[in-house]
Amino acid sequence: MSKVHFEHRMGAHCESGTVASLLNHAGLEITEPLVFGIAGGIFFGYINTPFFTFPTFIVRNRPGHIRTNVAKRLGISFKTHKFRNQKSGIEALDSLLEQNIATGAQVDFFYMKYIPEWQRVHINVHYITIIGKNGAKYILSDSYYPQIVELDFELMRKARFAGGNMAPKGFLFYPEKITSEVPFEKAIVTGIKSACYNMLKLPVPFIGVKGIYRFADKIMEWPRLARDIEHLSHEVMKINILLEDQGTGGAGFRYMYATFLQQASGILNSPTLSDMSKRMMEIGDGWRNISYIAAKIGKKRELGESNLKELSNLIRERGDLEKAFFQDLSKTV
Amino acid sequence: MKEKDLYVDYKPQQHIYYVEKEDQQYGPIISGSYLAKNYLDDYYLKQKNLEFSLRTKVIEGKISPIEYYMTLQDLSIADLASRVNIRRVKLKKYLKPESFNKVRLPLLSKFAEVFDIPVANFFQILITREEERSKLDINQLNTKNPTFVVTKIESKQ
Repeated sequence: MSKVHFEHRMGAHCESGTVASLLNHAGLEITEPLVFGIAGGIFFGYINTPFFTFPTFIVRNRPGHIRTNVAKRLGISFKTHKFRNQKSGIEALDSLLEQNIATGAQVDFFYMKYIPEWQRVHINVHYITIIGKNGAKYILSDSYYPQIVELDFELMRKARFAGGNMAPKGFLFYPEKITSEVPFEKAIVTGIKSACYNMLKLPVPFIGVKGIYRFADKIMEWPRLARDIEHLSHEVMKINILLEDQGTGGAGFRYMYATFLQQASGILNSPTLSDMSKRMMEIGDGWRNISYIAAKIGKKRELGESNLKELSNLIRERGDLEKAFFQDLSKTV
Repeated sequence: MKEKDLYVDYKPQQHIYYVEKEDQQYGPIISGSYLAKNYLDDYYLKQKNLEFSLRTKVIEGKISPIEYYMTLQDLSIADLASRVNIRRVKLKKYLKPESFNKVRLPLLSKFAEVFDIPVANFFQILITREEERSKLDINQLNTKNPTFVVTKIESKQ
């Protein structure tokens, strides 16, 4: 058995949690909200592609960008590996573990059997830290799980080499170089600016605040896209999952972003950012309310036009508030 | 949101949430999932109804077992085709029961790997009485023969 001494910590989100854990392991003290905020992680996109069975929305930036943005903005580097064949990918991981290197990995979430079955879906952008091997099992730290766990070799192979959209291709990463002087202040400002740009100015009609408005419009069309009332109920209740339980820290990452702004206000000594963090917390409360309502009307199958319209109006109201919020935030940095 | 308003006591599914603590600082707490605690029964009801409806369609020869698993696991045609590395149009063909019989074993093994099931489960569905389910352990054990599985049904100790 080989096992790296690694402090397991739960995280709100798999990528920001994994990156934060790996950086702390490498000696850089950093919180998950700082990782998330510096990476400009807050986002909104209303997505309708053939790769999903039903229209959906995303509340964070593109998978992988939390790691790459944090590295770029903090002047650190991650060693990364992708593999064309499974054998070399497996050998490379085993070799890293033999060298006592805790290694981040991209996997299909579906095969993480220690997670309750009702949570597990096929999504190729789950991140974990692999910290050892015990016979035919890998030992890993998953931000979504309270303890260090073991996963069968076969399941890890399937998870690392799943095909399809955003296929992991055995992707591995770990911090390689951390400078002694990390430019937190500058990185925070850059992270805030990039978040404002993504939410307000990306010239795509389904991204950022425009994506929130599109979501508000399109949810009215969901009944005719669903197979039946139970399918519609499932999709409406998934709003709750996507905002609360799919690794967001609550309210579609808005609570974690509020925490980032509060921590940033301390680092930059900016009372304005402290006020902005309170505003973001309140915006998050509204998203949380949308989650509750979606769960309630979904379970009761009360999915007529009036209830969906109410949901739509609440979503549109979040759009208005976030538009004003990010406009104001962009003026503070 | 304040910690006391968000916290849910539910151990089977826990997450980190960021909340306002008593000292007005924002920080993480571990809390159970509100949705899982209050609505999991509804999720299982819908899954059960969906499974029954799909199973009936397979039995009546209306859909292929590939569509049965694809729909149950919420995979789209584009996603599944990409995962097994075939064209979408070909997958659409294999969703029809009459074309399912033409799927070659290596491709069927790829589908089985995506769905995380033994290949044997494309040709059978194991059903137990609902009241018996909690009393039984059903394990499908892989063998060195990749297409051969041993299914053990035992009473729970």
